[in-house]
Amino acid sequence: MKLLWITAFCVSLMASCQTKEPAATTSIVVPPNTTVDKNPYVTLDQSPLDVSYFPPNYPMQRMKQQDTFPLIARVIYSRPHKKGRPVFGSSPQSICKYGIPWRLGANEATEIEFFREVNIAGNSISRGRYVMYCIPYPDKWIIKFNSNLFTWGLHIDPSTNIATAEIPVEEQTTPIEDFTMVFLPSADGAHLLMAWDNVKTILPITF
Amino acid sequence: MKYILLTVFTCCTLLTTSAQDAIDKSPLDVSYYPAGYPLLKVQDKVSGAPLARIIFSRPQKNGRPIFGNLIEYGKLWRLGANEATEIEFFKNVDILGNTIRKGRYTLYAIPHPDKWTIIINKDTDSWGTFKYSKDKDVARFDVPVQTLETPVEYFNAYFEKNGKTAGLMIMWDNVRVTIPISL
Repeated sequence: MKLLWITAFCVSLMASCQTKEPAATTSIVVPPNTTVDKNPYVTLDQSPLDVSYFPPNYPMQRMKQQDTFPLIARVIYSRPHKKGRPVFGSSPQSICKYGIPWRLGANEATEIEFFREVNIAGNSISRGRYVMYCIPYPDKWIIKFNSNLFTWGLHIDPSTNIATAEIPVEEQTTPIEDFTMVFLPSADGAHLLMAWDNVKTILPITF
Repeated sequence: MKYILLTVFTCCTLLTTSAQDAIDKSPLDVSYYPAGYPLLKVQDKVSGAPLARIIFSRPQKNGRPIFGNLIEYGKLWRLGANEATEIEFFKNVDILGNTIRKGRYTLYAIPHPDKWTIIINKDTDSWGTFKYSKDKDVARFDVPVQTLETPVEYFNAYFEKNGKTAGLMIMWDNVRVTIPISL
């Protein structure tokens, strides 16, 4: 009986999880003849902006619970799509070329804000806002924190770098279509997971 | 049994994760004043910090009537979707007689047919209007509603230079309001 009950629970759980997906997909469909193309002001970005918080989903957690945990970090970045293109590599077609600085996204430089002092790869980083970018290689990413804010993600001046971290590249077994940055809890702080195409890296942040 | 349960849970987690990773249907966007500040910066036309920036999500009209329907008159609205809309001033500013100190704020609105009540509140990083507390208001003022001939599909907010002031234009469907910011 117990087994039956558990099976029924599992099935209903699966069903509830799966019904979520089509619902999300159908609501994204843009009906034809909408006014999107006629927008005389600012059209929707091809690589839209997104935000990730630590603690994860901080604004939503605040809505659901009491404010029992402090805000530690947030990253604001744009999310380019793979769209069938080679992402990391050294061929002329690669979007992010090995050894060449990349803005970790698209459009404006990626911005990370720490709401308290943190430690990254032996660097003590003061509370504040920074531009974050990356120099990708096949086996590692070199992550740079830079103090020149509110800039477009190109021509970053390395003389205003304040910290560097080298992190290993891991294989992302399910290729990721949209560039993703998300904070995950870790034993001694947070991990900033960055993934696109078949590459995944983790930047450990301790505090 | 334990194995099945674990598999089911893993499947669910994966599904949820993939849903989270998908691009938001009301994507986030940012506008600066001076307009296009980050681009001006890489062209060496400006330096330092901008004067203001707004970070907001962009819900879609999607064929729905918006004001008076999806967004009810007289009710607090997050001016977008998802997280509450954030406005940041990089110096003290004046809006219709209210001095707003340099800093990061949440921007809300209470829409009416002919005017919107705009609220600047100092509680940041919240979702929707759920954490709204009037105690944390720093300013409340009314701006008139202008009617647009061309409906705006995606909610939008941007700054426009208007003489010595910056106009924060907020628009969706056939409605626009302008918030005059004296710098």
